[in-house]
Amino acid sequence: MSDQIVTLENATRSFPVFEGKRIYALRGIDLEVRRNEFLTLLGPSGCGKTTLLQAVSGFIDLEQGRILIEGKDITDVPPHRRPVNTVFQNYALFPHMSVGENTGYALEIAGTPVAERRKRVAEALEMVGLKDMENRRPRQLSGGQQQRVALARAIIARPKLLLLDEPLSALDKNLREAMRIELKTLQSELGISFVFVTHDQEEALTMSDRVAVLNAGQIQQIGTPRAVYDAPATTFVATFVGASNLFEGRREGERVVTPDGIAIRSRSPAANDAAVTALIRPEQFSLTAANDEPSLEIEVDQVVFVGSAFELLGRTAGGRKLTALIPASARGQVGAIEASRRATLYYDPASVHLIAPTEAAQ
Amino acid sequence: MRIARTIGRGTLALYTALFFGFIYLPLALIVVYSFNANPINMMTWSGFTTDWYLQVLGFKTKISENALYLESTDQLLAALRNSLIIAASTTVIATVLGTALAIAIYRYYFFGKSFYRVLLFAPMLMPDIVLGIALLIFFVGVGAHLGLMTIIIGQCTFLISYVFIVVSARLAGMDRTLENASADLGANQWVTFRKVVLPQLMPGVLGGALLAFIISMDDLVITYFISGVDVTTLPIFIFSMLRRGIKPEINAIAVMMLAFSFVVASLGLYFRSRQK
Amino acid sequence: MSARSRHRLELGILLTPATLFLIAFFVVPLGIMVVMSFLMPGLYGGAEWEFYPHNFGRILGFADPMFEEFDPVYLAIFWRSVRIAALTVLCTFLVCYPAAFQVARLPDRWKNFCLFLIALPFFTSLIVRLFVWVLLLRQTGLINEVLLDLHLIDRPLDMIYTDGAIIVGMVYIYVPFMFLPIYASVEKLDWALVRASQDLGAGPIRTFLRVIFPLTLPGVIGGAIIVFIPALGNFVVPEVLGGAKVLMLGNLIEQQFLSARNWPFGSALAMLVMAAMLVALLIYVLTEGRRGSDPALSL
Repeated sequence: MSDQIVTLENATRSFPVFEGKRIYALRGIDLEVRRNEFLTLLGPSGCGKTTLLQAVSGFIDLEQGRILIEGKDITDVPPHRRPVNTVFQNYALFPHMSVGENTGYALEIAGTPVAERRKRVAEALEMVGLKDMENRRPRQLSGGQQQRVALARAIIARPKLLLLDEPLSALDKNLREAMRIELKTLQSELGISFVFVTHDQEEALTMSDRVAVLNAGQIQQIGTPRAVYDAPATTFVATFVGASNLFEGRREGERVVTPDGIAIRSRSPAANDAAVTALIRPEQFSLTAANDEPSLEIEVDQVVFVGSAFELLGRTAGGRKLTALIPASARGQVGAIEASRRATLYYDPASVHLIAPTEAAQ
Repeated sequence: MRIARTIGRGTLALYTALFFGFIYLPLALIVVYSFNANPINMMTWSGFTTDWYLQVLGFKTKISENALYLESTDQLLAALRNSLIIAASTTVIATVLGTALAIAIYRYYFFGKSFYRVLLFAPMLMPDIVLGIALLIFFVGVGAHLGLMTIIIGQCTFLISYVFIVVSARLAGMDRTLENASADLGANQWVTFRKVVLPQLMPGVLGGALLAFIISMDDLVITYFISGVDVTTLPIFIFSMLRRGIKPEINAIAVMMLAFSFVVASLGLYFRSRQK
Repeated sequence: MSARSRHRLELGILLTPATLFLIAFFVVPLGIMVVMSFLMPGLYGGAEWEFYPHNFGRILGFADPMFEEFDPVYLAIFWRSVRIAALTVLCTFLVCYPAAFQVARLPDRWKNFCLFLIALPFFTSLIVRLFVWVLLLRQTGLINEVLLDLHLIDRPLDMIYTDGAIIVGMVYIYVPFMFLPIYASVEKLDWALVRASQDLGAGPIRTFLRVIFPLTLPGVIGGAIIVFIPALGNFVVPEVLGGAKVLMLGNLIEQQFLSARNWPFGSALAMLVMAAMLVALLIYVLTEGRRGSDPALSL
């Protein structure tokens, strides 16, 4: 059996904006969703992630390209015939039906006999933590409960793929975090592939087996959360996922030299004299040197206390802005820095990632 | 599969076009056939003429010399005059009273507000005929002579409601924060009303008034019962002519009424929905 | 003057004239009509001040037993009126729903234009809109003319002066009444629900029956009521398009007041129409309460 559930080939879709101009929501996207994986589409508003989702569920047609489910071309198949179900952003629960009727809707349409339908509805509701709520009406439920009904409704028909369109964005922080764990658990229990859309990178990192970062209709990078975080393929990914300090320049020996004279040492491979961008995440800086690490001197503009750490915002001699994240355990040293308004930031060259030029131009 | 969807959508669009055709085609037809020169078979086309219009307006034409259909243009003109007088009067009364009511309900809180809403929606919901005969009984009972005055009063009962509903809707859609801003900048209630609320309200009121005017001119049922024997309005005139037989002149009069209604109603609808 | 009493004065000025007017010329006349329906008809018109239940009795067929025998003719007229009004509602609904549905999904500019087109005929005279159908449906009317010219029929069809003609005329007149509430209902529809239904496997037809139509039902019911009530009491359409053959409640009432001069009986018949109106309103209020949405009535 193939390992891929859904494959998109060269998916392209544009929309007219005005005066004959078109905006490309999807530009030739190739994507594979694997069996039993939790894949997140991450990107800013307008990057095309929702369009991609709607293309897979069938509500948007592709101008070019195909969509395959388990090898079968479903590009021209209407949404109601695709084995894909969606959890909508505003839940879209039918207000004129009860929770039970909402949940069992897909089975009702498929002609499942009433007794079996009732059983499976009860099971689905229990699975999402809403036992015995069949007779309630959607308007009697809280936001979190409504979302669970939407979930139950979408999984009951055992689709090949479940699409979730920013399902947690309307929930408050605590509920959101609880739901993240629940969704992840649900996904592994059910064994259905989830494609999850969000603009929240923390969600993407905590929940996913793989993350696809999108921008302007293209996939910039797709990989495990760690790969995307530690080794971003483009500067866009570097800045969108996590905070970053970027140094664009040329490779000279073991260093990357920027136009304003800063030299960053890096052990990552790159051709000599190639144009590259070095990435140092704020948390990679330390105030103490560990055997002969290189450093950067900065003038500190602001020290922000964020509870578990300190954010140091400062500038190099050449005026380049840097951010460092120092754990709260180093509060003594931070105190001294606050007084002197100067800091020396040490970093480990082995963990300085280099971003290759062609993508770095994004 | 995509073809099926397109066919489905196309059918709906086609149906909608036919729907509007159903509404407007008959009207277009009577306009066309009002120029039909055939005096006997009105719907058999035998040439173009404006004679029916001319005759209705009182000019002698070839056709009218052969027949004495129209008793006299005087009757028609009298009906028209009555309709206009009634419409003008009812419009003024209903607009003033209806607007005052709308403003009162909008601004002030008082006991029995919901009673008022019911009272004001009732004339619109009431079937014309019930209202008509109730007014007839009333007027005869108090000994009033059935004529222009009774018609004006009778029509006002539902026109006040109409204006009220239109102006209320307009008030409800207004931005209350503008009034607050005006007060904040030092204007008292009356000045705020005059300089902020009223100008915004005016297009709605004007539109409502125009529409009330045309509703009054077009009213048949209620006017029918309370007009007595002396007074005829234009719709009643046409109605009586219809009872006696169909003539091409009726067509001409009807088309003129139609054109007039369309023009005034278009203006009214335009003003009513205009954002100042 | 204090602000409070100034407010009261302003409120009074705004409220009083219209209130007095409506009470005097709306509430009172209706009240008199209600009272009159219980009075005995006078010999030469008008009414005697005496309680007389036989007006209502006569509707049911039991007029004053001293003078008349059981005659359910009025009941028959009532049922015919109900039947024709109901058919009118049904036909108006079938005609309007698809178009209202389509218009609600158009881009804004087209939407407003279409609404304008729908509202416009409402502001023309009833009699003009009926006259049109007289010209179309008569023996020498346009439809027969065209059919004869095309040799599709040999003799003119009998279209006017039938129940069907009355229904066509009423449908034509009441289309704006049905269209707008349905349109408002469709416009408020959350299209995500339609997508959700399709996502879960329901094709267009199932989605319409199970999701779209139930959610637009309040608009349909609202429209049905504001068509049914005037259709029931209509006398102009039966007279113009029905001729002397088809007698409806409205014609009956008109007769009582202008020819037969039996005002109490006429009032009783009018009460019947009012009763039907109240029942219809009750139905509306009950269904609205359950579904919690409100079709816009904004002519």
